[in-house]
Amino acid sequence: MRKYIEFARVQMQVHAAYSAWFWANTFSVLLRMLVIYFFWKAVYSNRSEIEGMSFDGMITYIIIAMFLQMFVSGVGRELAHTIKDGNVAIELMRPYHLITRLIAMDIGDKVIYFIRGALPLGILAFVFMDVTMPSTWQSGILFLLSALMGIWIGTFFDLLIAILAFWTINLWGLEVMKEAVVSFFSGALVPLILFPDWFQTISLFLPFQAMVYVPVAIYTGILTGTEAWLALGSQLIWAILLFGLLRVLWSVAMKKVTIFGG
Amino acid sequence: MIEVNNLAKHYKIAKRDPGLRGAVKSLFYRKYETKEAVKGINLHIEAGEMVGYIGANGAGKSTTIKMLTGILTPTSGEVKVNGIIPYENRKQNASHIGAVFGQRTQLFWDIPVRESYELLKHIYEIPQKQYEETLAEFVEVLHLEPLLGIPVRQLSLGQKMRCELAAAFLHRPKVVYLDEPTIGLDVAVKVRIRSFIKQMNSRYGTTVLLTTHDMQDIEEICQRIIIIDDGRVIYDGSIQNIKSQFGDKRVIHFELENSDDFTLPRELANVAQVQPREEEDLHKISITFSSRDLSGAELISIMMNHYTIADLTIADPKIETIVEEIYGKGMTKEVQNEEVH
Repeated sequence: MRKYIEFARVQMQVHAAYSAWFWANTFSVLLRMLVIYFFWKAVYSNRSEIEGMSFDGMITYIIIAMFLQMFVSGVGRELAHTIKDGNVAIELMRPYHLITRLIAMDIGDKVIYFIRGALPLGILAFVFMDVTMPSTWQSGILFLLSALMGIWIGTFFDLLIAILAFWTINLWGLEVMKEAVVSFFSGALVPLILFPDWFQTISLFLPFQAMVYVPVAIYTGILTGTEAWLALGSQLIWAILLFGLLRVLWSVAMKKVTIFGG
Repeated sequence: MIEVNNLAKHYKIAKRDPGLRGAVKSLFYRKYETKEAVKGINLHIEAGEMVGYIGANGAGKSTTIKMLTGILTPTSGEVKVNGIIPYENRKQNASHIGAVFGQRTQLFWDIPVRESYELLKHIYEIPQKQYEETLAEFVEVLHLEPLLGIPVRQLSLGQKMRCELAAAFLHRPKVVYLDEPTIGLDVAVKVRIRSFIKQMNSRYGTTVLLTTHDMQDIEEICQRIIIIDDGRVIYDGSIQNIKSQFGDKRVIHFELENSDDFTLPRELANVAQVQPREEEDLHKISITFSSRDLSGAELISIMMNHYTIADLTIADPKIETIVEEIYGKGMTKEVQNEEVH
């Protein structure tokens, strides 16, 4: 366990070292927030609500979803890279589990990003952009729980795609497609209730809405009471399912590597 | 320490017809061909031995090492390293071995060398006191002090390799696999690395398996060499032995007062050869002969009867020339194989 904590710690250090990257990223997030804010201000200029959502509710959803989306992707690129350049073999010679190590490093990254990026920008959004607190403290706690599971699901989905690098030659296309599908189906762009009913029904059975939509919908009060608990339950199922799937695929991949030599 | 019996590894390689048609065809069905990388080898290496494992490119060296580290599962045969079957208990095996691959880095790219070592301390669960002692020792022997604060990606090749070597030995592993640790390095760094390896071996009794194409490495580090060709062990024994077995060839370099119209003396015509002369050194003549046919003294006295000799040196039989000869025989086999495929 200690070694994985060390990996997380070292990653925080590395992350803190890239300050140019950090400022560029912060600036682009700030810009995006402004664009979102004025876009939705314009949309709401002639009406007071859309699908039952007020302006405050909408902007709260969109901004929170934007922040959450930054945490739901994992270290897939890192893993795919290790697989492609053959270094995965060297990793197997070390007394740790590669996936656990990558996740530990990812946690380190995310903690630093939360402290340095998301938190200050979030406070800015609260103060200047009409973003509201959760409706009740219960929904606040449920949101935290749900957001953690959403991040877990996003991370494992990302790693699952990356493992395919063992079998495909070019993973880049698949990764781009994954990004697009995730931002569309997860509800990171707009709340899923704005989409047609049939679309909502489909996404109910996909893992994507569990990444962003469910936690943010709990936060903004779109999902409450039994509905919220049901959504949490489906998140839990996805979290376990993806974890299991990753383990199976990984051991298949390891057989392939150790028998065919990668 | 290392026990290998009848170890074999066959790869299945998808065969593809050339061109676009071949690529499309391969989507629907694939023909596989089997490549036998290692064809039943036996190795028995005692604890504390330093063994050179050499062979031409593609002879099966890397495949063997991968099986010893547990990265590859053998097709058949037995492997045991330190009493553990590596491919079954990979993680357990991993904590007792160290490795350097000349072509790949194992340090962590973005962080300073010292942090890398700190991380390794936790990965291998090295006790703090032992870690400090070992690191202090390595820093001294490999002159790492000025490098510790620099991120790995900014190091030169020679600096990186020194750090890499320290990383491989840091947890005092029982066995260390070195795969071309001196590739692309200058002589000074090579010398330092060789003496470090020898020192580790004498102090901690580390077993070392070294693959390299640099015969100087082998001659200075190893007492024993194993030569592998085409997946089979073709020689296993001491360096002394291989020299006496194959090394009856001798070379004597003469420097003559006047060598413009040099011809080999008649007495030597059947027993010695003149090596092709290098252009910049017209006065030097190198004559090769077999110690079975005549002694060095005889050759020199014959030469002295015919020419005025300014200077001469008798070269020790180089392991390099011997191995070259052995590879040469193997090479023809490889060519034949390729035609069959």
